[in-house]
Amino acid sequence: MSSRRSSFRRREKPAFERFKDHCRHFTAFMFSNVGIILLVTFYTIGGAFVFQAIEIFENEKMKIIKPHRFIERNFSGDCLNRIWELTAENISFFDRQVYRKRVNDALLDYQRAVVKKQLLGPDVDHQWSFSGAFLYSLTVITTIGYGNITPSSDWGKLVTILYAIIGMPLFLLYLSNIGDVLAKSFKWIYSKVCLCRICPGVAKRRIIRERRKLRQLARALQLHQMESARGGSSSSYSSNSNSTSNSSSSSSSDYTKSSVQTSSVLDVPYTDSDSDIEREIRGSTDEITVPLTVCVFVMVSYILSGAILFGRWEDWNYLDGSYFCFISLSSIGFGDLVPGDRVITADKDKVEVSFILCAVYLLLGMALIAMCFNLMQEQVIHNMRAIKRGFKACFRCRSS
Amino acid sequence: MSHKFQRNSPQMLGVASTVSSTTPSNQPRKRVKRCCRNFVTFMCTQVGVGALIVVYAIFGALTFMHIEREFVDTTTAHVLELRQNFSQRLWNITEEHNLIDKPLWVNETNSVLREYQAEIAAIIKNGYVGRSPADMWSFPAALMFCLSVITMIGYGNMVPRTPWGKGFTVIYATFGIPLYILYFLNMGRVLARSFKFLYRSLHDCTQEKNYDARLEALEGGGSLGALTLRKKIIVPSTACLWVIMFYILTGTIMFANWEKWSFLNSFYFCMTSLCKIGFGDFVPGASLTTAADVDAATQKLREDIAADPNEVSELQRIADQHSKLAINFIYMLLGMGLVAMCRNLMREEVRVKLKEMKEDTKLCVEDTRLRFVGCCGDPRDLYENDYY
Repeated sequence: MSSRRSSFRRREKPAFERFKDHCRHFTAFMFSNVGIILLVTFYTIGGAFVFQAIEIFENEKMKIIKPHRFIERNFSGDCLNRIWELTAENISFFDRQVYRKRVNDALLDYQRAVVKKQLLGPDVDHQWSFSGAFLYSLTVITTIGYGNITPSSDWGKLVTILYAIIGMPLFLLYLSNIGDVLAKSFKWIYSKVCLCRICPGVAKRRIIRERRKLRQLARALQLHQMESARGGSSSSYSSNSNSTSNSSSSSSSDYTKSSVQTSSVLDVPYTDSDSDIEREIRGSTDEITVPLTVCVFVMVSYILSGAILFGRWEDWNYLDGSYFCFISLSSIGFGDLVPGDRVITADKDKVEVSFILCAVYLLLGMALIAMCFNLMQEQVIHNMRAIKRGFKACFRCRSS
Repeated sequence: MSHKFQRNSPQMLGVASTVSSTTPSNQPRKRVKRCCRNFVTFMCTQVGVGALIVVYAIFGALTFMHIEREFVDTTTAHVLELRQNFSQRLWNITEEHNLIDKPLWVNETNSVLREYQAEIAAIIKNGYVGRSPADMWSFPAALMFCLSVITMIGYGNMVPRTPWGKGFTVIYATFGIPLYILYFLNMGRVLARSFKFLYRSLHDCTQEKNYDARLEALEGGGSLGALTLRKKIIVPSTACLWVIMFYILTGTIMFANWEKWSFLNSFYFCMTSLCKIGFGDFVPGASLTTAADVDAATQKLREDIAADPNEVSELQRIADQHSKLAINFIYMLLGMGLVAMCRNLMREEVRVKLKEMKEDTKLCVEDTRLRFVGCCGDPRDLYENDYY
């Protein structure tokens, strides 16, 4: 009896566990980097299809319900008739000045009509091609909002609002996730490459050099302190204060700034044992902070490379290209320069490559910016802590 | 040493008033230090940051006006010249054919018009909108532009055309956006705290009645429960959503009235603005920038006194749009603050909910395990389960 039950359990329980494991793995995967990238991509593509369908469908419906809106107004014909009438009524008194003025007015009206027509943009089918719709949904969830394509139907507007409400948190999740991963990997690369941690010999030599320098500094300070102590009659000890600086400083009256520095400097161990250095090399990878200048350099170089890329695709000059990249990556998005402009009007086969590259540029760039802010925040907090410590020491020595 | 440190640490935290009141500050250095500290704390409060934002925006507006108005718009002159040219050509055609041969005249004129259209279309492609920069970059419009840059909305109805303007936009955004984020975080914290306080006091008020009723029944036992209840009050996210919804609805009605938009369009505008998307298909104050229309209306009014009263009201409307724009400005800044507040509150709630959920699932798992063991357990299985 018991054996049967146990066999039953042995068969059943692993299945349950396996199911749980699967669930857990699936959830972990979906919240991992790959999952979130896929989620954002699919969300954008789905949004593109939905918007395209809605806009084209609504447009068709409008055409049936209100056909008079969609009749192409013949502006040049209107203007022609008007000028003809003007000419016909003016022919009697043949005043050239008046005639020119009136014709000028007619032309001005005509020009205004043309401007208005041009500003409204091309018709719906051209505007809401798949690439256009994809760019639109991307600009919605990244909150760039170029505004070169906007929904004209009521349903399109409502769906945009809903789409933004769901999509923006998703994108924020993407940003924080990918930014984190990028920051970690960037830090690793920085520590391995820029500080030469990758070859142990260089690192060891560097650390030994630094320690030697620190020790020299400490010795100089010690000497200085000894001299000052000898000069000052009131202070009783200084030479042994280095070793037990913490306990002595609480009671000592000449707890000066220099001694604070000395105590921090003297934390460096005297022995140059290999294991110690190895430990330091391995341990300090997590504690390392990337300096601000490197972050700024990465951002600027990304923007400049984007300027060169877009300059080649869209025939912009470098100022326009970098302006566009900055405006896009800071999620301002004026929409006076839009990468899709040529893309949307071009034929559909050629579109996709440059278009996909543009979308990738935007997504990657935003993650990169998030990464840089992540690293900069770390560095700033680190600096602030150091400043705070300095201030504290300063206050302590002033008030004594 | 220890008491010194104690005196220093609250100063670091910025609680200056209590410390400075206890110690008599005769020395000028200390007074200066305190003044500095007070100034810094004030600048980091919401008032200081808000004032800084407003000053920064006004400074930006003036600079952009200066830069963009300098821009010699050759296209406007070019368009004017083009029009003169074409009217001259039309005159020539008229003179030549002299209205005797209508089909021929129509043909010629049509070809001229088509040429004109092509020229105009080419100019529009290069960014001509039919208004001179001096008309476009009025002070309120420039202010709205600056706000749209630093809040990252970016409507895009007005954009800098000169290279200097573009460069300055980049620099302006580089310094403006961190400032705005500071404002956002600060405003969010302050609003969240005050909203929580308001909610708590309201909650206490409503709780008081129930509490009185319960006190009669329970006597003394209830007080402990009420105390523990007060500690645990967390503003539910529905309350935040109600506040945001109310704010957006207010904005919807306001903009629908002012700009004569439909309610859906107005709602759409409010949502896209507060989400920082900012398409720019609907922009408040777009009607404001058509200064030429105002001038025309004034001239018409001056020419004949018997103009229709509609135009007078129109003028009146345009005259008080400056105040409207100020309100619009405040609406945007406040709305962003409210969004930040909701973000703060909801994050807190979500954190608490997550913790509760974790505990719940832990309990649930434990419960099922116990039931499982109790249902079909033998000592070996129990041991196995303990392993997990």
